[in-house]
Amino acid sequence: MVRGRGWVSGIALALVCAASPLGLAEEKEAEAPAEIQLPPVPTHWKAEKPVGTSAGPVTAAQLTAAATPADKWIQYGGNYRNFRHSPLKTLTPESVKKLSVAWAFPTGTTGQFEASPVVYGGVMYVTSSYNRLFALDAKTGELLWRYDHKNGENLRLCCGPPNRGVGIWGDLVLMGTLDAHLIAFDRKTGEIAWNVEVAKYQAGYSLTSAPLIADGLAIIGVAGGEYGVRGYFDAYDAATGKLVWRHYTIPAKGEPGADTWAGDSYERGGSPAWTYGAYDPETDTLYWTTGNPSPDWDGDGRAGDNLYSDSLLALDPKTGSMKWYFQFTPHDVWDYDGNTQIFLVDAKLDGKPRKLIVQANRNGFFYLLDRSDGKFLRATPYLEQVNWATIDDKGRPVVSPDALPKPDATFRTCPSNLGGMNGSFTGALNPELGLAFIPSSEACQVFTKGIGAYREGLPYLGGLPETVDATAGKAYGNMAAIDVATGKVKWRYRDPRPMMGGTLSTAGGVVFSGTLEGEVLAFDAKTGKVVWRFRSGGGMRSQPVAYQLDGRTYVAVPTGSFSTLDSFAAGITRVPEGGTLFVFALPK
Amino acid sequence: MSRLTPALLLAVLACTGPKPAVPASPPPESPAARYLRDPAAVERGKQIFVGTCGAYCHSTHDVERDAPSLFDCEWRHGGGDAEIFKTISEGVPNTRMPAWKGVLPQGDDDIWRVIAYLRSASTCRTPPASAH
Repeated sequence: MVRGRGWVSGIALALVCAASPLGLAEEKEAEAPAEIQLPPVPTHWKAEKPVGTSAGPVTAAQLTAAATPADKWIQYGGNYRNFRHSPLKTLTPESVKKLSVAWAFPTGTTGQFEASPVVYGGVMYVTSSYNRLFALDAKTGELLWRYDHKNGENLRLCCGPPNRGVGIWGDLVLMGTLDAHLIAFDRKTGEIAWNVEVAKYQAGYSLTSAPLIADGLAIIGVAGGEYGVRGYFDAYDAATGKLVWRHYTIPAKGEPGADTWAGDSYERGGSPAWTYGAYDPETDTLYWTTGNPSPDWDGDGRAGDNLYSDSLLALDPKTGSMKWYFQFTPHDVWDYDGNTQIFLVDAKLDGKPRKLIVQANRNGFFYLLDRSDGKFLRATPYLEQVNWATIDDKGRPVVSPDALPKPDATFRTCPSNLGGMNGSFTGALNPELGLAFIPSSEACQVFTKGIGAYREGLPYLGGLPETVDATAGKAYGNMAAIDVATGKVKWRYRDPRPMMGGTLSTAGGVVFSGTLEGEVLAFDAKTGKVVWRFRSGGGMRSQPVAYQLDGRTYVAVPTGSFSTLDSFAAGITRVPEGGTLFVFALPK
Repeated sequence: MSRLTPALLLAVLACTGPKPAVPASPPPESPAARYLRDPAAVERGKQIFVGTCGAYCHSTHDVERDAPSLFDCEWRHGGGDAEIFKTISEGVPNTRMPAWKGVLPQGDDDIWRVIAYLRSASTCRTPPASAH
């Protein structure tokens, strides 16, 4: 149960209709209009008594555990390696056929429901579009506390109003907001512990990611690559909200890499940091990735490689100083953000044990890097259609001139500006099988260059991608299982629409994801055969999670798409928007 | 709201009734209408539209996205050149449409060129009611 503010009392409605002697209503001239006092809109319902008390504060030991725990889900990526791999062996290709809805919960908001729920102490913390945060009983769905953030007006959002989840540390849960605040809540009561402004959102910034917690720091980066911001990510003391360091993703004048920007273009060069990183406790290294340079589709004014856009950065988490970097797409003119999910994998490569970073990049290539020094090892296409470039033996793209944006472009370039994969949804990795499961879009575009104009807080684009495949009904999607050791695709499931929902893997050999048509799917991890499906109604854009409580196995899947982006991405627009969280369970 | 008595209503009608015909001079031509005859200006308007208004907002075709199609007969905030100019310049409150006045490289002229491009590429065959 939750307690609200006493808003029902105090409603005052003054009715001033007066009947004439003839029984006809007559307006009274010069009388003041009736004053109607509306009830204040409640935005915060705190818990009546502390919840989630079966567990103590979240500790560093819990976060650094190699495996994702079975009874909780406490990190966006499942663990610091971002495998999104549940240790639950109860979820098998056979058992999932017995999944049924245990409970469901509406968010009351439109726009894509992209969250990855956090489950801790028997409580599920889930965020919706427009920054509602719900604490729910993870077994029953009962609402325990709720906070609706009052975002500022005229938000600067390129692509919808999502939020992808909370971070959890100690007794706090932390949420970034569309108006660029980071807010910490007491996980037991819903009380706000602290609230900091990460950026002036009016300048083009927003926060959509879950914060990553490492070394007691809450790390989160800004979106804004379509507004010509200067990107950065911050580390805050997770207990107090004090800013510890800020890392700009574009060098300042005179700093190394500044010469990769023509003139003063670095001042509005984008390179946002709007997704989630990874952390290697063994080497105390933080990994973060960056997005596109601005303007997106006209690189004429920013000649050079445009460091550190579309890059992977390795950093000291205590200071935010960079150890090394690798740039996937130098001088990007397609919007190929380099910030899809990164997996930290220990695997044998050519017979030698290696510590790797693995990424299905938005640009269509599946990369392997040595995570100790950033050395490029391999890149292979993971899509069926990649024609913008090949990758040389140093990892640098050899760009096809046909694929460059032009005012009169006609060349159909693959992948689209949405990828491939992109940072708004996740893949998963099964370490026992050595397979990465990557959802993707196959929707080529014609990249047209135009004239952009910069002013702080306004879109700064320089062109557009003509959605030729989406418009012609030729776009489709895949879920691909990629052998990490070889880069080869072991199986592909093809969907009639781009697959832009996140992924969950289980030790029992199942992969969960979903479609823009509104189906939640479970695949046999070894074969790709669909072994279970559920019609949720809304398109699936979220990151599913699994957990076990009192011996019962649950799978949580937020659903609900965003028609504007769907129309752009070849999704389905006739289904109304609206978020619903479904939680499925195996029989007791 | 006050009511008009019949006598007052007659008086109002009398004041606003037909007036003697006065030869009307044609309304001044809008800059967009002039640019519409200049292919280079229309092309520049197109490039600004492509580089600034397209992508995630307005489609370059007669397609409704989050932002409305600007190539059909329907204009939510007035379809005359001056009304479109005002909408582009000042934006639309409580929507994602920002104010572009003073932002484009050649200022108001570029806004008029965008309007000329929209006219040139429109699928609407009916002149806008308040166009001039």
